[in-house]
Order: sequence, then structure tokens, then C-alpha cells
Amino acid sequence: MRLSKVWTIIQHEYVTNVRRPGFIIMTAIVPALALIGLLVGAYGGGLLKNMGQSLVNFFEGTSKRIGVVDGTGLFTPLLPEYEGNFTLFGGEEEARKALEDGKVDAVLVIPSDYIENGKVRVIAKGSSFEAVALEDSKWFKGFFVSHLLRGKVEPAVSRRAADPVTIQPEVLGEKGKVQGGGPWGILFTFIIPYFLAFMLVMTIFVSSGYLLQGIAEEKENRVMEIIVSSVSPLELLVGKVVGLGAVGLTQVLVWLLSLLGFTSGAVMLLTISAFSLPPSTLLLLVIYYVLGFAIYAFLMAGIGSLGTTMRESQQVAGILSMFAAAPYMLSGFLMANPNLTIARVLSFFPLTAPTMMLFRLPLAKVPWVDIAGSLAILSLSLLGAIWLGEKLFRVGILIYGKRPSWKEIWLILRSS
Amino acid sequence: MVIEVRNLLKRYGELVAVRGLSFEVKKGEIFGLLGPNGAGKTTTIRILMDILKPDEGEVKVLGRSPSEVKEKVGYLPEERGLYQGLGVLETLVYFAELKGVPRSVAKERANSLLEKVDLLDRAKGKVKELSKGMQQKLQFIASIIHDPEVVFLDEPFQGLDPVNVELIKGLITELREQGKTVVLSSHQMNLVEALCDRILLINKGEAVLYGPIREIKKRFTPNSILVKSPQLPPIVKGVQAVTRKDDAFLLTLAEGTSPQAVIKALVEEGVELEAFEVAPVPLEDIFVKVVKEGRHSALI
Repeated sequence: MRLSKVWTIIQHEYVTNVRRPGFIIMTAIVPALALIGLLVGAYGGGLLKNMGQSLVNFFEGTSKRIGVVDGTGLFTPLLPEYEGNFTLFGGEEEARKALEDGKVDAVLVIPSDYIENGKVRVIAKGSSFEAVALEDSKWFKGFFVSHLLRGKVEPAVSRRAADPVTIQPEVLGEKGKVQGGGPWGILFTFIIPYFLAFMLVMTIFVSSGYLLQGIAEEKENRVMEIIVSSVSPLELLVGKVVGLGAVGLTQVLVWLLSLLGFTSGAVMLLTISAFSLPPSTLLLLVIYYVLGFAIYAFLMAGIGSLGTTMRESQQVAGILSMFAAAPYMLSGFLMANPNLTIARVLSFFPLTAPTMMLFRLPLAKVPWVDIAGSLAILSLSLLGAIWLGEKLFRVGILIYGKRPSWKEIWLILRSS
Repeated sequence: MVIEVRNLLKRYGELVAVRGLSFEVKKGEIFGLLGPNGAGKTTTIRILMDILKPDEGEVKVLGRSPSEVKEKVGYLPEERGLYQGLGVLETLVYFAELKGVPRSVAKERANSLLEKVDLLDRAKGKVKELSKGMQQKLQFIASIIHDPEVVFLDEPFQGLDPVNVELIKGLITELREQGKTVVLSSHQMNLVEALCDRILLINKGEAVLYGPIREIKKRFTPNSILVKSPQLPPIVKGVQAVTRKDDAFLLTLAEGTSPQAVIKALVEEGVELEAFEVAPVPLEDIFVKVVKEGRHSALI
């Protein structure tokens, strides 16, 4: 393979495709939408900025004003730290009136037999949803714990009993080194695998679209035969895969960076998260990404060249893309246990291995057998994909007008 | 020899596209590769261009395997086209770069060729802005942009008007004058006849006629002369039959009689001769005859 020829094709494919109005419009759409969203948010008086906190507050109930009818005497007087949200009422009638007048959002009735059976009543307006939501609220439970322990334990112990634990996740990596601790713990656990697997799947989708479009156009324009008279089908195939892969990667990167850029500081968080991974894991992630993309791209180019219309090629390519996205369906289970049997099995299947390993590697210590085995299978599969892709491409690019039958493809492949 | 093909065989599944084909092309000649549709011409050219691999036989271009000499060979395929969205000069430079020509040299050569085909003023425009004839000319110069030693031209006159046919004919002749070798495949027999030194006619994948055009025509020319005269005597010495052909008479000569002897006899008899010539046989007639009869000829 002559690299100078491949490089010429890579440059041509990249430059001509990023100049297309279709590419520019598609690439600009996501940042434009994000910008519009940001402007709308800013116009709405910072509503977007506070939306996350508002949601948390709603479910936590910390913004609610609650009227308390204390039948036990244990809550009277209220501890100072709860006076902002809780107001004591002498009787239920008085509290109900305050609720009707909108002075409180809910009424908490603590009966005299509360200590025996733990039952309280919450009276709210509208639905019972808010009353139920309060039961799971850490803040609401803290109110009870603090008052029940008042005077019986040290104030600090009482406060700790009201809010006993805040978990800081840490994962033991290579050589016992702790990784991913501190404030980036959650990012480390969730964003890296999601980001990498998402990047791979998106790049496969986007680049395969450009690959199929490029091949279909060149077949339609009848340029293909002129080109293969100058370069080998393999050189053309590699040039196209790398050039159009770079086009797809450019688009996905612009989309992601623009989205991240518009969310405060997320890029920085992501970068810090990425650097919190050991270099060996980062290197493996890059290898899996490249292997995964190459296998899909060579297969798609080969299969795509057999189609006579864009739609036909896309149908087959769509089926292949489903394999790349399949591990997403297991992402919920993978977060809990990255070494599930099904995950390990799919790590050895060439079409699911790249995405699966991109998910698993940042989450936990993956057995070396899985890494070595899947890398070996992927390397062999890449050779197979190049061989098959080149054969199909060699046959497909010379087929004009009608779609070949499977029998015809087989006969031509056998004779080529 | 610039091209050597020995016992070439190519199958597509059950179908044998080329069957035991052997021929040679000499340096500096225009060689016609002819045949009806589906005869195996394009398959043969694709093998010579290393686009397809042969099943059997030996193929050498410039003394080497076709894959080793791609940069020295030009190709104008029958199924051809251009990137419609690309610039005219950009297209030529890209095709030249694929043939290993440095960008600066490619630009210089592209401009010179564009000037030759009256397209220099379109160099900065887009391909889609060119007329069909202009695009054909662009495709032709794209096949010689890298100054190849050998050029394969598959139907180079397809879709061209008479003015542009003459222009391309001139460029092909110029290639021969520069010592380049041209393999020409075309259904326009008058043009093949006017340009080619030697031809190979293939039918159903096999060679049926091969050799210099002049010798082939001589071989297929019937022993007859065409005479233009107001009146002919009923019997002419050495003439077997006389038939009227438009405004002339076609005289079929007896075996062993030369056209000169018949003319001499007519003059001696006082026949008023306006014109006479040895009856020509167009290549097209030979083509049709050989293909219809499925005749084989070992003429070399």
C-alpha cells in the first residue's frame, strides 16, 4: 500500500466533505440549538440556571413551609434550625385554616401515640404526591431525628444522626492506587464510559453516513473506475475510511464540545475526569475506539458499495450500527456491575466488544483475560473486515445499474 | 512490446468473459480493440489496468505487471464521470496527484491541457457548470494529465459533436507523434479506420481478427473494381459479372485477373471512363461480417 496515495485520498475526502453545505449546516445545527436554549434561559431570568436546584428542592421539600400540630410535646418548642420551614400550631383547625389561606404548604399532624406506632398525618392541597414525597426526604426525616434526640445526646451526634452519611465514591485501581475520588467521583463513574461509548456510536453513525453517501455518489458519477485505475481498491478504501472517519469525528466533536461548552464548566470537569484515569486505561480506551471504528467502517464501506441506491446501503449499515449501540441497553446493569457475565461475553464478540469495553474499562478493574482476549479478537476481526471490505468494495464499485444477488456476489467474490 | 497478453482467461461465475486471448501492442502505435457489446473488451482493458485480476494467463504492460505501472498508464473508461461539485482545475490536480504527480507540476500541466481544449477560461469554475461536451473533453485530458506512456481510451468519442470529435482525434494523433502508445476501443468504425494502425477484433471473449488494418482490409476486399462510365460493353475480357451500383458499375473480376488488365482492356475498347477505383470495403462491413459469421482469423 502506497501511503502517499492514501494521504492524497484522505485529504481530498476530508476537504471536499467539510466544505459541503450539508456538512456545514448539520454541524452548525447542534451548537445553534444549544445557543438558542441558552439565550432563552437567560431571557427567562435565569430559570434554566436554577432549574436543577429547583427540582432537587421540590423532591427534597426544603423549600416547603410546614405547619406542625404536636400531639406529643416532643417537638415543642421547635429547634432553631427548623424554625424557618416549620411553624407550630395549637390545634388542627388553626393549621388547616393556615393551609387554606396559603400560609403553609402542608400540615404535619403528630398524634399523641406517635412514639408507639410512628404514624403521622400530612395534609396537603391538591394531590397526595407531595405528602408521599416528604417521606423519602432526608431533610424531613432529619426533623424527626433531631427533635427525638434533643437533650439525650450531644448536639453534634444529634446532627449526624439526622444526616448520617454522604458517600464519596473511590475505586481501587492498579497497584492499589485510589482513583476517581473527591468531587469528580460521580463524573468519573458515569460520564467517561458514557462519553466514550457515545462518541464511538455517534462517529460510526455519522461517518458511515458520509462513507455511504460518498461511495454512492462516486458510483453514480462514474468516477470510481477512474480512481481505481490510479490506486488499488484497498488504498482507496483506507483513504475513504480515514478521511470520512475524520469528517465524522470533526462533526461529533463540534457537537459535543459546543454542548459541553454551553454548560458551565462541564468541559473542564470532563477533562479532569479523563486525567484521573490511569494512562494505561486511557491508552486502552483509545485502542478500543480506533479498532471499533475501523472494523465498522471497513465493513460498511464494503457492504455500502454493493448497493445501487443510498437507501439500500443505509438499510444494511443501520443493522450494523445496532450492534454498536447494543451495549447501551445494558448500561443500567453495567453501572452496578461492569463484570456481569453477559458483559464479558459481549466483550468477545467483535461488533459489540468496542462499545462494551469502552463502558467497562473506566468503571472497574476488568480481568486481563477479557482485555487480552477482546483485543486479540478485535485485531483479527479488523484484518477480516479489511479483507472482506476490500473484496466487496472491489466487486461493488464496478457494479452499475442493478443490485447483485447474493449468489452473484458469492460467485464474484470466489473468482476475485 | 508495450503490452503482451498471453492466453488470458477471465470468468464471472459460470460466464467466461475472456477466453484464451493473446495479443501484443507495439510502442508508438494506435491499437484498436474492437468487438460487439459484451465481447469482453472492457474486461480485457480492466485487467490491463489492474482493476480486475485474470483467472489464467499472463499480462504485461511496459514489461511489468499492470499493478506496478499504474502511474505510467492513462485510462478513460467507458463508465466515466466527474465530481460535479468540484472545480475544473481541482479535479485535474486531484487525478494527477493520484498518479503521483506533484501538485505544482500538476497545476502547470492542467493549465496547458485546458488551453489545448479551449477550457482554460473555465479552470476556476465548477465541473457542473460545463456542458456535456466540455465535460467529455475534461475527462479526456484527465486521462493524460500525468503524461502516461500508454493510454487506454474506451469509447472516447461517445457523446461528442463533430467539432470535438476532430479535436480529440487530433489529440490522439498527437499522442502517437509523441511516441505514446494508445489502445482505442470504439464502435465508431470510421474513426477506428482513420486512426488505428492495427486492430484486434474480439467476439464472445475470443480473438477473431488481429493484425494491421491495411492487411485486413486487403484480405477482405473482393477482387472487384468500381467504374464510372456512361456505357459499358456487354462483355469485358477478364470480367465475370457486371452489376449496377448507384451511378457506377461494379465489375467482379475473374480469378487471376488484375484491375490494371481490366482497365487496359476497357481503354482499348474505347470505353469513356469518368472514374475508376478498386472497390473499397469499409471496416464496419468486415466487422459485421466476421461477427455474424463467427469467423476466426489468425492473420497477424
